[in-house]
Amino acid sequence: MQTVSGRYEQLIQDLRASVRPQREWIERQGLFLIVGHFLSGVGAGTWLFSMAFDFPVGRPLGWAIVALSGLFHLLFLGRPERFWKMVQVGHSWISRGFLGITLFLLTGGVYLLPTYVSGVPWTAEGALGQVALLLSYLGVGILLLYKGFVYASSKGIPFWTSPILPALYIAYALRGGVAVLLIGVPVAGNGVDPHLVELLELWIGVSAAVLILFYLGVMANTNAVARRSVHELLQGRVAVSFYVGTLFIGLFIPIGIGLASQLTPLSQTVLAAVGVASVIGDFFVKFTIAKAGIYLPLRPLRML
Amino acid sequence: MKWGMVIDLKRCIGCYGCQLSCKAEHGTPPGVFFARVLKQEEGRYPNVRQLFLPVLCFHCEDPPCEAVCPTGATFKWPEDGIVDIDADKCVGCRACMMACPYGARYFHDVEQFYFPGNGPTPYEQARSARHQTGVVMKCNFCRDRVLAGKEPACVANCPTVARYFGDLDDPTSEVSRLIKERGGYTLYPDLQTGPSVYYLPP
Repeated sequence: MQTVSGRYEQLIQDLRASVRPQREWIERQGLFLIVGHFLSGVGAGTWLFSMAFDFPVGRPLGWAIVALSGLFHLLFLGRPERFWKMVQVGHSWISRGFLGITLFLLTGGVYLLPTYVSGVPWTAEGALGQVALLLSYLGVGILLLYKGFVYASSKGIPFWTSPILPALYIAYALRGGVAVLLIGVPVAGNGVDPHLVELLELWIGVSAAVLILFYLGVMANTNAVARRSVHELLQGRVAVSFYVGTLFIGLFIPIGIGLASQLTPLSQTVLAAVGVASVIGDFFVKFTIAKAGIYLPLRPLRML
Repeated sequence: MKWGMVIDLKRCIGCYGCQLSCKAEHGTPPGVFFARVLKQEEGRYPNVRQLFLPVLCFHCEDPPCEAVCPTGATFKWPEDGIVDIDADKCVGCRACMMACPYGARYFHDVEQFYFPGNGPTPYEQARSARHQTGVVMKCNFCRDRVLAGKEPACVANCPTVARYFGDLDDPTSEVSRLIKERGGYTLYPDLQTGPSVYYLPP
C-alpha cells in the first residue's frame, strides 16, 4: 500500500516523465471501478442469457451481480454520498450508466420479487411484471453500452478513444453472461443444454479475440501515444497481466476447450471451468486496457 | 466576453514564479498544481537549449471535461468562458481527468500539508479551508481576482512579463493582437477543444 508521501513522489515523477500513465482508474480506489465495470457487464449478460435460456437461477444472480457492481462503483467515488447527483439525463455516459443501473435494479427487482417473496400484489407474468421485464432489458442495454463509451469519450487517453472499445466491451459483457451460465448449469441448469451454451460461448469468445486483435492493430497505427499503450500491453508493465490473464486464461483456454468440445462432448465440470476462465479473462481485459492508458504528453508540438 | 491567456515562450525563463504564485494564491495541497512549468532539453552538446512550457487549464471553448462530467460539477461560466468546478457537486469520479487532453486536473484525495507531522501552518489553514477532499481541482483563471479587476496570480507575478491576460473576443485587446501578430498557437488544435491559452513561439 502506497503511503501519501509515496503517492506524492509518484505523481511528481509522473509529471516529469514524457509519458504519464493514468493511475486514477486502476490503482488504489481505482481498482474498485474496474471491478465495478467487470461486474456490471457480467451481471447484465447473466440476466440476458438467463432469460434467453430459461435459467431461473441466473436471474437473481445477474441482478445481485449488478447490485454488487453498483456498490463497487460507489466505493470508487471520492464522494460516494453524493451519488444521487449523477441523475443528469443524457449529460454524460457515466450518468447514463448510473441511470441504467438504477433502472435495471428497480425494474429487475419488481420482476423478481413475486417469485421469491410471497404476498406481493403482482406477478412476474402479469402486466406490471412484463413491463418491468421490458424496462429491465433497456437497463441491461445501457449497462452493456455505457462502459465502452465512458472510455471512448476520454480524450486525454488516446488508447481508449476508439469506437472499437464499446464493441469489445459489449462482446465481453455478453461472454461474461454466457460464462456464468456455464458455471451455473452443472449446479442448477435443468433443461439448459450446456453444449449449446458452450457453442455460444465459443462463438462470442472467438469474436472477442478478433475484436481485441483488431483493436490493438488499429491503435498501434493511430498515433505515438496509443502505440506506446499497445507497447505497454505487449512488452511493457502490463504484459504479464495481458498475456496470462487476458490471452491465455481468457481466450486460449476457453477457445481451445470450446473447439475440443465440438469434436468430443465434454463433461459439465470442464465446461464450468471454461466459464470460470472466461470470467477471469473478462476481468483482465478491462484491467489491462485501463492500466495501459497513457495521457497525451504535454510537449509543445512546435518544440518537438 | 471570453477570457484568454497568451504565454510568450521567448520571454519565459522557467523560474516557476507562476507555479509558486498560484500555490500561494490558492493554497493548493501537495500534488495539486493548477499551474506548472515543463522543462525539456533539446539538441546535443554543445548545441543544446532548454525549453520551458508553462501549462495550466486551457479553458477550452468546447471542454471535453465538461461533456463527461456526470453531475454538471464542471461547467463553463457563460459570461466569460471560464471553465470551473463546483466542488459541492463533484462526486470524484475522475472522468474529467481522463477527458482532459492537457492534464490540467488533479484529484485531491486526502488532506495533505507541506510540513507533514506538524499539521497545517496558519497560512495553509486559511487557504485550504475551501478545498474539499475526494474531489477534482483545477485552475479557474483566478476568477475571484478577475472579478475584482485584478489579473490572475500567475500573470501578475510573472517577473519577465511572459503572460498576458485579456478578452479574446475583443480584436483590439493585447492578447488578440499578440496572437495575430506573432502567430499564437494552441496545443493539440486537432482535438478541436478550442483552448483559450495561446503560446507565442520561442
